[in-house]
Amino acid sequence: MLVLTRKEEESIMIGDDIEVKVLNLRENQVKIGIIAPKSIPVHRREVYLAIRSENAQAAELASDKSIAELINPPEKK
Amino acid sequence: MLLETSRFGALEVDPNTVIIFTQPILGFQEYRRFILLPGPSSFLKWLQSTDSGDLAFILLDPKSVVPDYQVNLGEQELAELAATRVEDLDIYTLVVVPQDPSRIRTNLKAPILLNMKHRLGKQTILDNSDYPIQYYLSKSAERVASKGVPNARTDA
Repeated sequence: MLVLTRKEEESIMIGDDIEVKVLNLRENQVKIGIIAPKSIPVHRREVYLAIRSENAQAAELASDKSIAELINPPEKK
Repeated sequence: MLLETSRFGALEVDPNTVIIFTQPILGFQEYRRFILLPGPSSFLKWLQSTDSGDLAFILLDPKSVVPDYQVNLGEQELAELAATRVEDLDIYTLVVVPQDPSRIRTNLKAPILLNMKHRLGKQTILDNSDYPIQYYLSKSAERVASKGVPNARTDA
């Protein structure tokens, strides 16, 4: 991993069109600004990973029985 | 073109009906082309990849479970899908159907946006919403059925 030290208001360029800027530092938190082309999605990593995992589960072909349950929920007794 | 699928067998696909994804379904970067097929009920559709016959998702009309479900999109994101208003888009959410039916759920946080007129689509992440990634359908299933869905049983 490339490690760079930056101060508040200083940036890093990734290629020609992605800028990552340290906006604000607090004891336990850093506020980061990202300027990137709209074609490059930027997400919080934990959200990205959770959605990717959920997508992978959605792609597992469900059994017809389970789908039937979704369409015809079991009758209440 | 003829597409061999694991769920529907051989499908004749009209190239004009193929939807191109401008952004992938996260984790499925290589699969950018899909067709929309009728699902087992009016509020469900199949999203079948035409890049791989083995890849298909079940899509849900989120309004069937959350009637006031709303998606706010920026101009840039609309433009990416050749749309000017959210109303130009069909909005669906992915459904996870595990073996245990009580864990059937849908992802309200990252809906699938489709512009059926221009055949463009993407998965977006609603960063500024509180919608859950896992919204369990078991509680709402009864409500959906009671709306008179054609395939649904009635208790009568």
